[in-house]
Amino acid sequence: MDNSTQDSHLRSENSVTYDSPYPLYAMAFSPNNNNNSHSAATTTQRLAVGSFLEEYTNRVDILSFNPDTPSIRPQPSLSFDHPYPPTKLMFHPSTHSPLLKSSAVDLLATSGDYLRLWEVRENSVEALSLFNNSKTSEFCAPLTSFDWNEIEPKRIGTSSIDTTCTIWDIERGVVETQLIAHDKEVYDIAWGEARVFASVSADGSVRIFDLRDKEHSTIIYESPQPDTPLLRLAWNKQDLRYMATILMDSNKVVILDIRSPTMPVAELERHRSCVNAIAWAPRSSKHICSAGDDSQALIWELPTVAGPNGIDPMFMYSAGCEINQLQWPAAQPDWIAVAFANKMQLLKV
Amino acid sequence: MVPENMKKQLALALRSIQWSYAIFWSDSPNQPGVLSWGEGYYNGDIKTRKTSQGVELSSDQIGFHRSEQLRELFKSLKTAETNPQTKRPSASLSPEDLTDTEWYYLVCMSFVFNIGQGLPGRVVASGQPIWMTNAHSTDCKLFSRCLLAKSASIQTVVCFPFMEGVIELGTTDHVSEDLHLIERIKTSFLNILHANDPLKSGATSKAREEESVACVAAFDHNAYNAELIPEVGYGIINTTTSPDGSSNALQANQPPDETFMVDRINRGSTSQFQSWQVVDDELSNCVHNSVNSSDCISQTFASPEKIGSAPNVENLSDLQKCNNQKMTLVDPLSDDWHYQKVLSALLKNSDQLNIGMHFQNFYQESIFSIWKKGGPMDCQRPRVGASQNLLKKVLFEVPRMHLDGLLESQEENDYKEGTRLEADENGMNHVLSERRRRAKLNERFLTLRSMVPSNIKDDKVSILDDAIEYFRSLEKRIRELEAQRDITNVETRAKSSPQDMVERTSDHYSNKINNGKKSVVKKRKICDMEKTNSDALKVSSTNDVTITMNDNDVVIEITCSPRAGRLMEIMEALNSLNIYFKSVQSTEADGHLYLTIKSKLTGPTNATAKRIKQALQKVVLKS
Repeated sequence: MDNSTQDSHLRSENSVTYDSPYPLYAMAFSPNNNNNSHSAATTTQRLAVGSFLEEYTNRVDILSFNPDTPSIRPQPSLSFDHPYPPTKLMFHPSTHSPLLKSSAVDLLATSGDYLRLWEVRENSVEALSLFNNSKTSEFCAPLTSFDWNEIEPKRIGTSSIDTTCTIWDIERGVVETQLIAHDKEVYDIAWGEARVFASVSADGSVRIFDLRDKEHSTIIYESPQPDTPLLRLAWNKQDLRYMATILMDSNKVVILDIRSPTMPVAELERHRSCVNAIAWAPRSSKHICSAGDDSQALIWELPTVAGPNGIDPMFMYSAGCEINQLQWPAAQPDWIAVAFANKMQLLKV
Repeated sequence: MVPENMKKQLALALRSIQWSYAIFWSDSPNQPGVLSWGEGYYNGDIKTRKTSQGVELSSDQIGFHRSEQLRELFKSLKTAETNPQTKRPSASLSPEDLTDTEWYYLVCMSFVFNIGQGLPGRVVASGQPIWMTNAHSTDCKLFSRCLLAKSASIQTVVCFPFMEGVIELGTTDHVSEDLHLIERIKTSFLNILHANDPLKSGATSKAREEESVACVAAFDHNAYNAELIPEVGYGIINTTTSPDGSSNALQANQPPDETFMVDRINRGSTSQFQSWQVVDDELSNCVHNSVNSSDCISQTFASPEKIGSAPNVENLSDLQKCNNQKMTLVDPLSDDWHYQKVLSALLKNSDQLNIGMHFQNFYQESIFSIWKKGGPMDCQRPRVGASQNLLKKVLFEVPRMHLDGLLESQEENDYKEGTRLEADENGMNHVLSERRRRAKLNERFLTLRSMVPSNIKDDKVSILDDAIEYFRSLEKRIRELEAQRDITNVETRAKSSPQDMVERTSDHYSNKINNGKKSVVKKRKICDMEKTNSDALKVSSTNDVTITMNDNDVVIEITCSPRAGRLMEIMEALNSLNIYFKSVQSTEADGHLYLTIKSKLTGPTNATAKRIKQALQKVVLKS
């Protein structure tokens, strides 16, 4: 293993920084936390970061994070090429699946031109499958995002600029359904339940879909200025009544309650510039973290009902540069990961 | 907080007016200052299927039983998530057994309201009843459950303050505003409360509760009137000084005050003085009812027992608004059934009591600091560049990279292997392939238009007409030439390239072609010609692309070597940048193709002059 790569810089008790040779965007944590034989004594967490280079060849790097030290160590043997930057990375959400051959193996999904599955083994990565819904090679509907269904991990939903969402059965390798979800590009998708998902789009709406009734959808929210695109969506897995979305060129995080459609229950407006990423706390139904161009990561506690002066965040962290990505991993709920420029930082909560 | 016999009171009141449901919203035991479900009674439609319990039940008992079942079901839905392992407690009902109205009632149990928000919150804040007759079409700003109400066809919802909370009544019928009804109900509540208050008249039998409305309506006020006379009298004096007060209204508004008084006395925790104040407040509120009164506001604030942060004026105007405003944000696709299904699926997996905190060790270890209003200074620095820069690139530009990459490889395929395609018509998504087919058709039409001498009109029919006419003239010309060759049998075979040049140029000027008795372009010949031209071009290659951009208008001037399919490639390159042309002009001279394209940027595009230029140069340089 190449040890010339620095383990980690800026090491301290409550944060750790990883310096990448290239700008980073996509980021994901494995749900398993003891699959690294190199350090059997301690538990380490596997995570993946995707480069953002405006050219064909991009990289996905696998790192291992040890929360005890804390430290991040790259695993160069597990890096692989990706065509153009991956728009999202996600590990298989469950530890059990027919696709997982052993406990030392992780499945990683990436989105870009197509949805791809990679098998991350101990010392190698192999491309497992490519999911292409188009019959001809002359057409491709690039994917903006996807979400792995935690309750039924054989399902992955993808969102595309061709206004559709595609639901894959990855075990059988077939399309379960494809829905024309919106009037414009779909930018993000999130599962709520085994058969219910929601998506956001350039048409400015949040819509909920139920696979049992594919003919209909419910608009849960529409951006106030018509057609202000909604860029990201996060569904509160601890309390499914709530979801959060962010608007283009807006410093707001909009919190929605599915029971009262069209009226947000709260708008979090303490970022000084636009918000880039949102993540609900994995173990609490009332906390959400947001990060933005103002270089801040803010942790909010949602009151039962908002007061007249808006909601103030509880805690904040300043990264020194626009934060582009944010993850609050379920396997490490005490840590929040942020990505800015070519750095990835893990922050103790 | 919730009186023991509240449910019976609600039941009695509800049956007296034959409405569908009643809810008592009270101060939440967990979160002070927030209204949550206190008690409820359901009196609406019931699916008969699962209600047969074997035992004969009176209609009263059925009602109580059903309300109990619904509450159980709600609790079981909530606990389902907290302990996924333990099977959910056996509720005798499941969501599928519910009528729409029952479902509405059930979902209401999950709501909480801040003082001043939502229907119950506003009523507490203002101390005024709200009567809403178009619940299903109300603006959801005022009535957050309107979509639910619509699916349950709840038409009339009435809220009025009662004790520490709010009573909400609803029915599927349209009932126009009738304040007497509220008063009557309040009287009936009063009756029961009084009857069950051991301090007052412990002797009154429980049997009263079972009494019919007739009895309630005819209830004898004497018992407490004696006690209350001084207070009420004060209220009257106070209010008659108000310009809006009319004696009729006062009469009508007496009972609510009494309700309130008895309520106070029952709790026994308020001083007489405060009670007086509250009486005054209540009374004037009722008298003015829908009239804005600054008196009311100040009095509301003066009463410490009923903290109302929302001024009455605002509430009233909102209320008025809500009657006129139609709900505008309804999904055209949305179907009440769909919404309900989704909600039930999600509610099963959600639990409002799950308030896990994860910041126990915060102060020792976290790198996060407590948020302060000012914040650190380094965040104030002016931002450079566009906002959400990387996020936008990921969402807008990365997809384009893939498409551009694909287009390139596709072009190579197209020209190496000839044209291949249109095999995806049977693809599973018909609409998408249809959309692509249309885009392709349009592209090809543009190409055809550029090849055929045509009029200014550019609709498809004219393009086809021109093409037909053009081909007819070509065929005619071929016949003429062949006839000529047969007769003369001379060496007319090889036409010189200068002549072809004239021909090609004339292609683009409709005024010239019709007198074209000269020669005709054949495909083979173009190829011949091209070879010579490209040879010539190698010597004097003056490929040039100039872009002039003005807002969304783009003027593109291209000079390049002519080649078959060149125009189409350029069009495709522009299309992929979301540029659509208004006009295309092409001229060929001196072995160069001169193109002037006037176009417009459409849709979300990141096409800059530089990008367009690069894309076009790529095409132009390809020989």
